[in-house]
Amino acid sequence: MITGKTVQSRKTQALLLLLSPITILLGAFFLIPLGIMVVYSFLEPGLYGGVEWTWYPYNYGRIIGWPLNDYETFEPIYLSIFLSSLKIASLTVIFSLLICYPAAFWVSRMSERRKSFVLFLITLPFFANLLVRIYAWLLLLRPTGFINMALQSIGLVAQPLDMLFSSFAVIVGMVYIFTPFMFLPIYANVEKLDYSLVRASQDLGATPLQTFLRVILPLTLPGIAGGSIIVFIPALGNFIVPSFLGGSKVQMTGNLIERSFLQSRDWPFGAALALLIMASVVLVVMFQVVRSSRAQARGAA
Amino acid sequence: MKRMLTRLAGVASILLLTTQMASADGKLSLYNWGDYINPELIDAFSKEYKVDVTLDTYSTNEEMLARIQAGASGYDLVWPSVHMHDIMQKLGLLQAAHPNQMPGWENIDKAALRSHEDPQGDYCLPYAWGAVGILYNKKLIPDLKSWRQFFDYAKANPGKVTMLDDLRETLGVGLIMTGSSVNSRNPEEIEKAEAFIMQQKPNIGAFRYDVIPLVTSGDIAAGHYYVGGVLNVLQNPDLLGFVIPEEGATMYQEDVCLLEGAPNSENAELFMQFLMRPENAAKNSERLTNGVVNTAAVSLLPDNLKTNPSINPSPEVRAKLQIFEDLGKDLRVYTRAWDRIKTN
Amino acid sequence: MNRILSSFKIFPSVFNIYGFLFLAFLYMPLALIVLYSFNANPINIAVWTGFTFDWYRTIFGGAAVETTFDSAFSESPQRIFEVVKNSFLVAVSAATIATVIGTATAIALARYKFFGKRFYQTLLLLPILIPDIVLGIALLVFFVGVGFELGLLTIIIGHVTFLSSYVFVVVSARLAGMDTTLEQASADLGAGPFTTFRRVTLPQIMPGVVGGFLLAFIISLDDVVITYFIAGVGSQTLPLFILAMMRRGLRPQITALAVLILVFSFVVATVGLLLRNRKS
Repeated sequence: MITGKTVQSRKTQALLLLLSPITILLGAFFLIPLGIMVVYSFLEPGLYGGVEWTWYPYNYGRIIGWPLNDYETFEPIYLSIFLSSLKIASLTVIFSLLICYPAAFWVSRMSERRKSFVLFLITLPFFANLLVRIYAWLLLLRPTGFINMALQSIGLVAQPLDMLFSSFAVIVGMVYIFTPFMFLPIYANVEKLDYSLVRASQDLGATPLQTFLRVILPLTLPGIAGGSIIVFIPALGNFIVPSFLGGSKVQMTGNLIERSFLQSRDWPFGAALALLIMASVVLVVMFQVVRSSRAQARGAA
Repeated sequence: MKRMLTRLAGVASILLLTTQMASADGKLSLYNWGDYINPELIDAFSKEYKVDVTLDTYSTNEEMLARIQAGASGYDLVWPSVHMHDIMQKLGLLQAAHPNQMPGWENIDKAALRSHEDPQGDYCLPYAWGAVGILYNKKLIPDLKSWRQFFDYAKANPGKVTMLDDLRETLGVGLIMTGSSVNSRNPEEIEKAEAFIMQQKPNIGAFRYDVIPLVTSGDIAAGHYYVGGVLNVLQNPDLLGFVIPEEGATMYQEDVCLLEGAPNSENAELFMQFLMRPENAAKNSERLTNGVVNTAAVSLLPDNLKTNPSINPSPEVRAKLQIFEDLGKDLRVYTRAWDRIKTN
Repeated sequence: MNRILSSFKIFPSVFNIYGFLFLAFLYMPLALIVLYSFNANPINIAVWTGFTFDWYRTIFGGAAVETTFDSAFSESPQRIFEVVKNSFLVAVSAATIATVIGTATAIALARYKFFGKRFYQTLLLLPILIPDIVLGIALLVFFVGVGFELGLLTIIIGHVTFLSSYVFVVVSARLAGMDTTLEQASADLGAGPFTTFRRVTLPQIMPGVVGGFLLAFIISLDDVVITYFIAGVGSQTLPLFILAMMRRGLRPQITALAVLILVFSFVVATVGLLLRNRKS
């Protein structure tokens, strides 16, 4: 007979065996690196890259205006780049939401077979290489590109439109790249939508707009929130899309971070900027956690 | 299914093993700028000496320095610009290869020993030099001679010109146009240069490196670019032009340097000697359309290169070319000016 | 009555047109790349001048590089082969390790109750959630700080860090939908945990494991940002190679290479998605 105790200790052993690889992996190659990055952001930049081990909080002073020393001056541009990154990321969220929301309803009304096929089609582009997808938009948006050729040939415009190298191009590119991320959470929610509530609302005399705003929208809000977060975070830290479609004139914080590390040899400053992004990500995620747990509490009550 | 996974793991370990075994001997790893060596030379060298040559590329000096400092110690030779050569030598990242004691050194133009740290050529071999000027589309601008014309065209056709996405090059143009040295450490002069570029910025389409296809297709009319663009001008003389602007321009020169701890230093030294052969230097210049630092190679160049005013400029033009120096901590003044330019 | 519901019926065609446009938005750009990759025009890829296989041939070494415009620096087939080899080496190794770690973690979190479970659940999502650039530079400062030489090994480690989380998510979903009675029956019949795992659990979650592996494989093969920061000597992967080519300008050869990558990714992804969706 196996006693309860040995079963218990065997279970503990198995659990240890299963959990130790991920613990070591994320401890050594995720948490410690993030910790080192935090430390670096408080060190003095080495003249030719790397860091000097002296306490140097002035990297933050450059960004937020305090503390400062003789060599570091407050530059409001870093905050304004950060704000414009927030703006670009938010617009990306809004546009991909507007595109995906109706599409989710379209798919949810399909027959099972067609549905799984269309879902497959929507997921597939996610697996296309990021650079390949950006490359496609470079070809589409350039002055002699496909869109301008098409517009000119049907006589809609006389001169090619300047679409490439602008925030517009950056937002279009990001919406394109992140569409599957936005679509899937919304779809998962729309799929489960309880139509009896919609019917009840209409039976009680609500107009379609009222029904949408009071019933459908609140019911699909969790999906909207989930999709928005999943799109917002990578959009905020992006640097590849702006560097190709923004013509390096449209700058995002990601470009500044990349330049700090690989061009201006100022690692601590890059680390400080990365932490600024990290902090906003944590804020957004926490907001969502609080919101959803409040919603759960309300549901339970 | 499980068998498939184990088999994949097996394949992975075999691949790991073979890559390690291949690194036994007869190797040479080069770390060079993209498009900065004639591939035929690499093939010829590896055939002649039975050496397996690998080539990795970078697009800025800073990127290369960052990677070398990050412990990329498997490379043998790098191609830093002269000011970066100085920095790397000061940082102890290079070892003396003594190209000045190798056969073929007599061919090297002694005026090309531009490094402050290495005036005798104890460390590095001068490789090639060139001006940074303007590549333009003749259908859109028939005749371009100066920065003034370049910026005037941009004013009339906003968005149809580009400048390099490089803080020192582009601020360098600002410094030239405001009458200062491209190595100025005076914050006021740098501020003036910044203001100049800022004034032009609304008319500049983008800050980019990849201008050749854009100028060729007419997406843009002119772009701030390296003399290497002359290769395309020679292929398409009716469509493209390259000019060193009258106001002056920056120039670059790269040296070939042996890295400290290079695993294949003997092959690296052989490669330096190989590069010094006049016929090889000429072959390289044909492909790169750079200025040669090998005096014996000049006579071997095809006429269209020998007489090209951008590749082989007159002494008066050469006098107007400035080369970058290492600015140490003052580089931060430039970095900040550049951050402001790109943002506002 | 039921105006919203009936509007679905009244305007199905409107919805279908919208859906068609949505799919067109997703696929048009990719279709254009495929089309352009056969365009003979070497100067402007967007202006059609004739059909050619030349760009594909330069990749495989079939076409004389000298004859094509602006191809003086076309990448040699050997070079392309080398970076493809690096990419596959990284993707196979990283995905294999991540599959083992991610699956083990998923089983631990699904089948055991222990203190700190919520912590693990949150921690595992972080590598997916934080922006790539943050993870990339954190790994860079770490590797440089501890004197770890950058190269294929650091890329593999970096990839395993976030791929494990992806595998974890996929396998967890499979485990959540799985019937545990068989496992209990096996344990009741006296099988040890390992035997139960090998004979009962593993076969049932296998589609999830393989699906997770393929997902990890593709993500690793395509990763640009993290690899960009932690690549070192001779460890250029295919995406980094393309990034460098794109920075030097749009060339027809890139378009052809892009199409080959696209086709390969789609084939692997299709297999992966089919396996993941297969009912047990």
